[in-house]
Amino acid sequence: MYKKQVIITNPSGLHARPGSDFVNLSKQFESTIKIHRIDKPEKVANAKSIVFVLSLGIKKNMTVEIEANGPDEEEAVNQLVAIIESGFGE
Amino acid sequence: MKTLTKGQKVSQGIGIGKAYLYRHYEPRIVENFIDAQKAEDEIVAYQITKKRAMEEIQKIHDMLLDLNDEKAKIFKAHLDIVDDVAIDEEIAMHIKDSHYTYTYAIHLVYDMFIEMFSQVEDELIQERVADLKDVKLRLLRISDGVEESNLATFNEDKIVIANDLYPSDTATLNRRFVKGIITEVGGKTSHTAIIAKSYEIPAILGVSDAMIDIKDNDVIIVDAIKDIIVINPDESTLNTYRLIQQENLDQKEKIKKYLNKTSITKDNVKIDLSINVGSASQEELSFEPYVDGIGLFRTEFLYMESDTMPSEEKQFHVYKKALSHFKNKPVILRTLDIGGDKTLKYMALPKEDNPFLGKRAIRLCFDHLDMFKTQLRAALRASVFGNLWLMFPMVGSIDDILKLKILFNEVKQELDNENIAYHKDVKFGVMIEIPALIMIADMVCDLVDFASIGTNDLTQYLTAVDRMNQDIASYYQNYAPSVFRTIKIIADEFNQKHKPLSVCGELGGDLIGAPILAGLGIHKLSMNATSVAKIKQMLHHYTYDELKNMADQIIQFKSEQEIIDYVLKSHKEKGVNDV
Repeated sequence: MYKKQVIITNPSGLHARPGSDFVNLSKQFESTIKIHRIDKPEKVANAKSIVFVLSLGIKKNMTVEIEANGPDEEEAVNQLVAIIESGFGE
Repeated sequence: MKTLTKGQKVSQGIGIGKAYLYRHYEPRIVENFIDAQKAEDEIVAYQITKKRAMEEIQKIHDMLLDLNDEKAKIFKAHLDIVDDVAIDEEIAMHIKDSHYTYTYAIHLVYDMFIEMFSQVEDELIQERVADLKDVKLRLLRISDGVEESNLATFNEDKIVIANDLYPSDTATLNRRFVKGIITEVGGKTSHTAIIAKSYEIPAILGVSDAMIDIKDNDVIIVDAIKDIIVINPDESTLNTYRLIQQENLDQKEKIKKYLNKTSITKDNVKIDLSINVGSASQEELSFEPYVDGIGLFRTEFLYMESDTMPSEEKQFHVYKKALSHFKNKPVILRTLDIGGDKTLKYMALPKEDNPFLGKRAIRLCFDHLDMFKTQLRAALRASVFGNLWLMFPMVGSIDDILKLKILFNEVKQELDNENIAYHKDVKFGVMIEIPALIMIADMVCDLVDFASIGTNDLTQYLTAVDRMNQDIASYYQNYAPSVFRTIKIIADEFNQKHKPLSVCGELGGDLIGAPILAGLGIHKLSMNATSVAKIKQMLHHYTYDELKNMADQIIQFKSEQEIIDYVLKSHKEKGVNDV
């Protein structure tokens, strides 16, 4: 298991296209990947599901934790953190 | 061959094509179970349905992308949803564990997520609820064996037949192949009518039972000149209509030649013509050289076309685009007019018994001050780029006007405090549509810089006829003598005090209404861009005294029919082309 925390910087948060980009990147890994908001640790979402990710209502300036379990867990978490830090080109 | 003479034309012309019956799908949801052993088969059946849904969505998405239409991204989101791993898992579980049919499983699982989204306190998520509902409906329809119905993917000339068309339907309407529109409900001022007019698609609305009388692929002639629909015409009828269609196009060409002429009467009296716009699109703005301004910028389309509340920034850019394009020419921007027949996806409006008499336009805005102020800020900020006139709809009293002025000044004060520039001389005006304002016209005139008459709503309110109610459509008279007399009162008042008064309703761009309005002393008419050449042509055939004389006569007539006959006879004598 590998996990990291990251702050959302892009204006629209994990909605619309950024949400879609995030989920599509998650799907490229074999590991199971989960994401949750630091302020709401009880709601954990499957990072490969757009409906679950959207239902977290992740907005700009929130901190989220991404956790992966599986053969490519480190790579997965690092890349997902990187795409969030990049601001999705917004 | 069969003919229908029900309904009324809302957009003139002749359209010929094959019938396409457009239905909004209504799912039947039943709690059904399968044999436990058949669970795997049921999951496969779901996968097949899902695959077909993805193909449909992909097709619409690609088509919109080709057209450079930003709505493509909505369908990209639909693709993400329909292919979601969690939804797949949940549906498989409902089939395996509870032995539900896959259609019932779709219903349960999508509703679960819809419920989940509804509880998130975030308006962006609320907007996704509409997507989930759309995708769910698509899946249920496919599983029900019902073909997709949309107005986008045609490859031959079609006449669209529907009960009614919603903005979401017309958003993807194929303008190349849709040659005519027939709906069972709706009249001259409905959404469908406005769209048909601006796209120049011949349309007859209010044709009861059209969906029964007409079958898919029937050959249809929409004669939106004489209000006749011909179903499966014989060869000679079809040929006759093809000839009329050609004559019509020729006449249209003649009229179009007037587009770049000045809008003056035979004796050089200038009548200002402006256009009504909805979105400041390139197409709309391209009419700038031929007109004297924008007489009505319907800002509600900005709100209706968006999935979320349009931000100050977004609005600012749209308003700036229109204002800078029109430079010194006035741009009359009407603040949000929602309620009545217009709703927003992302704002729950109260269900009302009489929406047209209810919480509409400024009445709604007064209850959503943040939204209202955002719009005023965006407009004021954009004012430095042109000549902005700000107009408020549904004003019914001096109290309303004073309240608006306070708010308007508050927003200016806020901008001053933030050192944000705006034009100090933005004009303040009201729509004249509630008859009460005319009874106090003198007081209104003193308080505003200008006013514009919305003839559709004025007629509806003055004559107490709900313009959406098909049952009483015959009571809604476009040329009611009472309406012209009412307009005369306000015109006299404003002219006496030298304050600008215009008409921005349907009447202003109408061959019967426009000459009378000009004769009554209204020197500013605003209309759909497609009517400008037609009205210029008409003006060129009359001297101003002739128009005045016409108005003097009209005001004494007792019935609408007398008015129509008189004006049409006069046009004929003068040689005015009518298409």
